[in-house]
Amino acid sequence: MPATVEERENTSLVRLEGAIDIASAAEMKSVFLNALASNKEIRLTLEGATELDITALQLLYAAERDAAKAGILFALEGSVPDEISAAVTNAGLAKFEFQQ
Amino acid sequence: MSNANIIDKHRQAFLEEAREVLVELESSLLELNERPNDGELVGRVFRSMHTIKGSGAMFGFDEVAAFTHHLETAYDEIREGRLIVTSKLIDLSLEAVDLIKRMLDEPPGESGANGAVASGIVARLEELTGIADTKHPEAPPSSTLADHPEKEGAIQEWLIRFAPGPALMRNGTNPLLLLRDIKQLGDARITASMAGVPALSELDPERCYVSWEIFLTAAESRETIRDVFIFVEDCCELTIEPAAKQSSSLPELTAKPFEEQRNNPGRREHDKPDGASSIRVPAAKLDQFVNLVGELVTVQARLVEISAGRDDPDIMAVSEEIERLTTALRENSMSIRMLPIRATFERFRRLVHDLARDLHKNVELTVEGADTELDKTVIDQLNDPLMHLIRNSMDHGIESPETRVAAGKPPMATIHLSARHSGANVLIGVTDDGRGIDADAVRARAVQNGLASADANLTETEIFSFILMPGFSTAKQVTDVSGRGVGMDVVHQRVEALRGRIDIASKFGSGTSVTLRLPLTMAIIDGLLVRVGQAFFVLPLANTLECVELTRQDIEKANGKHVANIRGELVPYIRLRDFFDIETERPELEQIMITETEEGRYGFVVDEVLGDHQTVIKSLGRFYRQVQFVSGATILGNGTVALILDPHRLVQEVIRGSVRSSRGHPESNAAKNRGKDGLLSKSP
Repeated sequence: MPATVEERENTSLVRLEGAIDIASAAEMKSVFLNALASNKEIRLTLEGATELDITALQLLYAAERDAAKAGILFALEGSVPDEISAAVTNAGLAKFEFQQ
Repeated sequence: MSNANIIDKHRQAFLEEAREVLVELESSLLELNERPNDGELVGRVFRSMHTIKGSGAMFGFDEVAAFTHHLETAYDEIREGRLIVTSKLIDLSLEAVDLIKRMLDEPPGESGANGAVASGIVARLEELTGIADTKHPEAPPSSTLADHPEKEGAIQEWLIRFAPGPALMRNGTNPLLLLRDIKQLGDARITASMAGVPALSELDPERCYVSWEIFLTAAESRETIRDVFIFVEDCCELTIEPAAKQSSSLPELTAKPFEEQRNNPGRREHDKPDGASSIRVPAAKLDQFVNLVGELVTVQARLVEISAGRDDPDIMAVSEEIERLTTALRENSMSIRMLPIRATFERFRRLVHDLARDLHKNVELTVEGADTELDKTVIDQLNDPLMHLIRNSMDHGIESPETRVAAGKPPMATIHLSARHSGANVLIGVTDDGRGIDADAVRARAVQNGLASADANLTETEIFSFILMPGFSTAKQVTDVSGRGVGMDVVHQRVEALRGRIDIASKFGSGTSVTLRLPLTMAIIDGLLVRVGQAFFVLPLANTLECVELTRQDIEKANGKHVANIRGELVPYIRLRDFFDIETERPELEQIMITETEEGRYGFVVDEVLGDHQTVIKSLGRFYRQVQFVSGATILGNGTVALILDPHRLVQEVIRGSVRSSRGHPESNAAKNRGKDGLLSKSP
């Protein structure tokens, strides 16, 4: 599964792995909706991700914005692979709010 | 659509636009000839040249661009005050405009014989202006880059706006790859806008909500940039504009959030310059559209008749609704085809200018009512008749400056072109203050040609009408311009074909005025449907003033004269029953349709007025072309044919009745019936 969630006591750890594109976008959406519904802080790790397409990027943007509105912490954990950083830049996006 | 097709399509659009710009350029040059110190005109000329140069280069018309560059340089010098406008320069510029027109007709890259002509003009231009122009348009001065950075090869800044539509991702397109391709063209600053991304719960994960603005600095043309988006242009919104132009000429567009534009429903822009609010449509498509609306009008008229015959409120309601919509659609479709006559008028400035030079006459062309709108089909066919009329005026009407001065006239002659609406018609006038028509000479020639008898008592109008006959000319010599006696005949035929007519008024020694009376539209008219016996006719509503009853007593009061007393005014009338020889019994109570014609108010007596009728004019064909008082025919709901009458011609026919019948015209029963007294004299 490219998008998985690991529930911890106060945290939902969302892990995106491999290539996240339109084929896994629906799954990723449901993962984030569940995480938001649990009302716990969300931590995202992209360490295992190799590719994010625009559907994945806009989903991350929407999830982060919804979390901020709901007062839920949305933070990035671990390092971001170079290819993912490049994908974000190439898409003309400034780094995400949650990027440390 | 293949890449080549797209390029062809845009090249075609360029050609159309370039021809329009050339017409404007020509007219500006001619105006400049009259007002050489008008800075605004110089600017207009310069801008037209600049446009042709810039877009010509973009679409592969390099010879046109290179040639126009020399002209543009000369006018830039004028703009800067370093050179003055002379009539020699204007003549040379006009010659250059003609050459550009010919160059545009050639396939790009094939200069043919025009290349040598172009070099000749450039050499003369350099001689005249003293500017040895070594600059090549391939490397235009940097100041012009911002206005027209469309030339491939020069570094330019583009602003690209790209908003994927809902279907783009589902087609398997990855917009990030398109952005990557753009980056490969040059230095790209890409900014994504996330404002369109909805809340997570509402987000369709398979749709792209992000849009982009890209500032691209590259040595690429608009076409090349657009090619990146070639496979997605049907499912995205795309604009590609020179970055400088965006910020200077379209402040409201840049100030507006991109999302706001993007979310504007129904709007899809493909690289339309200036967010164009108009589109180009092939005339054939428009004609087809109008024809279909015409058919719809006919069917709708049938529906009205059918619904009137049934006592069904539901059908009646639908019929009324359809009638309302059809009327709106009809008016709308006709208005699309209406064009101002300005472009046609402006074209003649050049004709007058050139002829005046060739004939050594001083002539000024004045124009009035150029914004008068006419059906495109009418305008298209007006060019030749007007050209003949102006040529005639220039050649035969206008005298040489010496003759004019000797006759006590100013040396500068005037030809006045005018257009104005009159009811359902438009009047186009060509008036000159030349020598006028010698009615005696025309009469003598008519007698000589056997068109009139030597002792005939002819009015001036009748005498002038001989001019319109085939082969009739009083010119003593045939010139290059006119005088072969074919001109007015052609004008007459063309105007007749448009269901129009020609009036000639002239005062010998003072000038001539030729007026073309043309219908506003060729396709549909609003009419009143009337019945006489079993026959149906349509009279144009625009001419109809009122409808009054005509009783037997009224007829007796008038002593049998065909005159009705309308609130104290005596109005002559024509009984259609008699005119068309309809042999049914006359009803006790008849109706008179009072109509405004050029001969004054006339009434048309009918049995019954059935009501409004939107009428699609169907031609009666060649066979009935001589029957001029019938404009056409229409088909009624029950399949009956109704003739559409031309009130003015009908009145004229009646007035001329005695003359025609004496000449033994066989074509109408009416003429036979009218006899020598004509319809207007005595009740049968």
